[in-house]
Amino acid sequence: MLKDYHCNIENIRNFSIIAHIDHGKSTIADRLLEYTGTIPEREKREQILDDMDLEREKGITIKSKAVRLYYHSKNGKEYILNLIDTPGHVDFSYEVSRSLAACEGALLIVDASQGVQAQTIANINLALKNNLKIIPIINKIDLTTANPDRVIQELKNISEIKEEEIILASAKEGIGTSDILEAIVNKIPPPKGSSNLPFRALIFDSVYNSYKGTIVYVKVVDGVIKPGMVIQTMSNNLNYEVAEIGIFRPKMQPIKKLTAGEVGYIIAGFKNIKDTHVGDTIIDASNPSKESLPGYKKVTPLVFCSIYPIDNKEYENLKIALEKLKLNDSSIFSEAETSEALGFGFRCGFLGLLHMEIIQERLEREYDINLIATTPSVMYQVTKKNGEILKISNPASFPPKNEIEKIEEPYVKVNIITPSKCLGGIMELAQERRGSFKNMEYIDEKILRLDYYLPLNEIILDFYDKLKSISSGYASLDYELIGYQSSELVKVDILINHQLVDALSFILHKDKAYTRARKIVEKLKEIIPRQMYEVPLQATIESKIIARETIKALKKDVTAKCYGGDITRKRKLLEKQKAGKKRMKKVGKVEIPQEAFLGILKI
Amino acid sequence: MELGLYLHFPFCVSKCPYCDFNSYQLKEDNQISSYISAIYKEITAYSQKLKKSNIRTIYFGGGTPTILSGVQIYSILEFCKDKFTIDKNAEITIEANPGTLDGEKIKLLTESGINRLSLGAQSFNDLLLKKLGRIHNAQDIIDSYYLARENGFNNINIDIMFALPDQTTKDLQTTLEKAISLKPDHLSLYNLTIKPGTEYYKKYKRGKLKLPTEDEEFDMYNRAINFLKENNFEHYEIANFARPYKRSMHNLIYWQNKPYLGIGAGAYSFIKGYRYMNYENPARYIKEIMSGKLPVDNGEKLSLRKRMIETIILGLRTKDGISYKEFNKRFKVDINNTFYRQIKKLVNLGLLEKDDCKIKLTNKGIFLANTVFREFVD
Repeated sequence: MLKDYHCNIENIRNFSIIAHIDHGKSTIADRLLEYTGTIPEREKREQILDDMDLEREKGITIKSKAVRLYYHSKNGKEYILNLIDTPGHVDFSYEVSRSLAACEGALLIVDASQGVQAQTIANINLALKNNLKIIPIINKIDLTTANPDRVIQELKNISEIKEEEIILASAKEGIGTSDILEAIVNKIPPPKGSSNLPFRALIFDSVYNSYKGTIVYVKVVDGVIKPGMVIQTMSNNLNYEVAEIGIFRPKMQPIKKLTAGEVGYIIAGFKNIKDTHVGDTIIDASNPSKESLPGYKKVTPLVFCSIYPIDNKEYENLKIALEKLKLNDSSIFSEAETSEALGFGFRCGFLGLLHMEIIQERLEREYDINLIATTPSVMYQVTKKNGEILKISNPASFPPKNEIEKIEEPYVKVNIITPSKCLGGIMELAQERRGSFKNMEYIDEKILRLDYYLPLNEIILDFYDKLKSISSGYASLDYELIGYQSSELVKVDILINHQLVDALSFILHKDKAYTRARKIVEKLKEIIPRQMYEVPLQATIESKIIARETIKALKKDVTAKCYGGDITRKRKLLEKQKAGKKRMKKVGKVEIPQEAFLGILKI
Repeated sequence: MELGLYLHFPFCVSKCPYCDFNSYQLKEDNQISSYISAIYKEITAYSQKLKKSNIRTIYFGGGTPTILSGVQIYSILEFCKDKFTIDKNAEITIEANPGTLDGEKIKLLTESGINRLSLGAQSFNDLLLKKLGRIHNAQDIIDSYYLARENGFNNINIDIMFALPDQTTKDLQTTLEKAISLKPDHLSLYNLTIKPGTEYYKKYKRGKLKLPTEDEEFDMYNRAINFLKENNFEHYEIANFARPYKRSMHNLIYWQNKPYLGIGAGAYSFIKGYRYMNYENPARYIKEIMSGKLPVDNGEKLSLRKRMIETIILGLRTKDGISYKEFNKRFKVDINNTFYRQIKKLVNLGLLEKDDCKIKLTNKGIFLANTVFREFVD
């Protein structure tokens, strides 16, 4: 190991690992950490860098991480390698792009049996956009189904990648690890900055720690940073005194200075995570560099839903929990909201569906709050007849139809990689989701790539699941926002016992309103238990009923047998049922179980 | 103190797939004799303490108590008479499975002093009986019934089940007609409930059990009540129907939330405000009692509030409902005060009716009894 880590910038390599989900990103990282002795034998475990329970369970990376490796190359020199681990999912592509901006190279991992997938292509494009040197690695060559020759061909077909640059590896078996390390040293260029220029660093992530406050992850581009220095965040001109700087091994380890090219962390009394934007540039307040680093942009949530505690008493807890989560994830948007049906809650925005699911799950698991989440929606742009333009994500806030001039909805460009035999099914699906076909090209004779423009609204619910089921799991998907287009959208309201349940309203294309409304009232009929009275269920557009069902009155609710011993048991059962009823949401006189809100999401 | 005595026999020829009672298929005959020894010890353990209590009813329940021989049953009852004070007019009931009776056994039952027989008929439809896993057919029920009559039983109950898989309202009607034609003194009508841990539950979860809908169940129950009333049966408890003066005295003790002693594996007792339960597993039960301990698994002293609630939800099961006077005498509070809100709400919903001296379920309330009871529990 190096005694003096401040080696020459020439001996620093900053890289990311990019891969389609499950292609072995975390396992490759594990091997690199082990090979370089970064993780002592006794601390070995799988997915070392993923420390959130959810990450380990789902096998995905949610937060970016950085770790410094020391490597003694075959050329005799010592190197500092900074591995910046990034979230793999499309929802987090902005964070990924910032992490990549901190690197000069990327390991592109492709599964030897699955081959090129949608995200492989998205990753290559992202790496090229950031001028990264790509080191292609075909992983899992030990699998009996591995077909590296085919994958090599695919890679050549979709990119400029040269066959002789491709490393064959099996992270599971430890094959190829030293080849990868040598390629990092020999192929990836060192960082370009200079320690003699005024200090500049790129924030590529930030986390909140209850003892230390906000910790920002940075790559120092130019200059030097030391504790005691006063720094400034360029986007908002706020000054801070540096309290601590350090590196990741992978645990945080304080050091005396960080110089150009190095990756590490800064603690500087940042009050609020909102003040430390991913992508922002940090400069020296006393010797400010004029030029910000490229890439900062405000992230905009794509998917929205309302979140309510089942028990209204939990509102304060939910508020605190959301604030805490936001400390670590500035991409969550939330604002207080009131629903007639559900009481006090929050309108929340997320980067995508997975992001939304993760946050909901963390609220329930880590903060133990039972939630009702409404059907996810997108941000619509409504132009009123008086010329006013509104951005609305909540169907409940839509103006009446007669005031609306036009409604525009967000569209995405969807890139699908699929076995060619599933083409028919996928085209049908895209058609049904109002997609417009843009392009198709063969990656090889069995695999092809499809480009569609689709309304985001049509893919946020179950498009991915449907795509997977049509293709027996083989097709993959990637998308990016391309803008707004005007559509014939309508708002459908749901009335339970003649009372509008604002939280169940939804927006969709007029041609689909009838079918979906029909399915929803049917589903509600199934889920809402019979009440003392007959309960009509109606779906309406502008007060015109388009679907209806009736929940019959409860007729029989009696246990036949009850003798001596049973009574205490029975009393306890009745108490439990009563408690269960209390957990239901009461809309007017009708008790609605949580499943009613969840159930209609699955339609 | 007046007391009911319950004796539990947890053995059956075979376990029915819907049954979640504390019962087990009998493997060897000597299981019974060691179980009887344990029962004797438990009875002995209570005999001193309860010597002064007047036992008004005795109930042999199961499982299948008639899996025992006539002599065994006879001896158990003799042992009880020896250890307890039993009222000379005591109602003494035994549950019997139609497949387990013969003339000789029945003779011994009457001779022992048992004066009421409860026949687990369940249905008179052979196909349904088979699906229920019963060991008898319709003819066996009829044969057992007449055998009991001929041997002097003048108080016979027939158990009938409804809401069975694939059962129609018409099936139930036919079964009830056949049951009535035997002129029983009492009829219990239970709707099948699918309980966790049973074979039926597993089937149900796999979607392999076609149960009647709520509306069909309502229809069956409603028609059955009307039919039995037309045939001069008094609907005196949610699931029970009696000819005049033939109500089950033992079960009334339960519904009036009065004290009783339970003997045997898994038996419950309710004495002096304590409700407790014996170990369910027969081997465990025997082991505890043989090592000189009372075989009590768990129990609780019920608070006044809980006793009141249990008294209400049991009492409301009966046609007599809850008398203000009785309630006041027992708990020293006015039920219309303590449960003012609940009673008012339920009366408004048309589920409860009140007059000058009592509250009781309305006809509608009978069908929605659990909704009513849920209102009273905390």
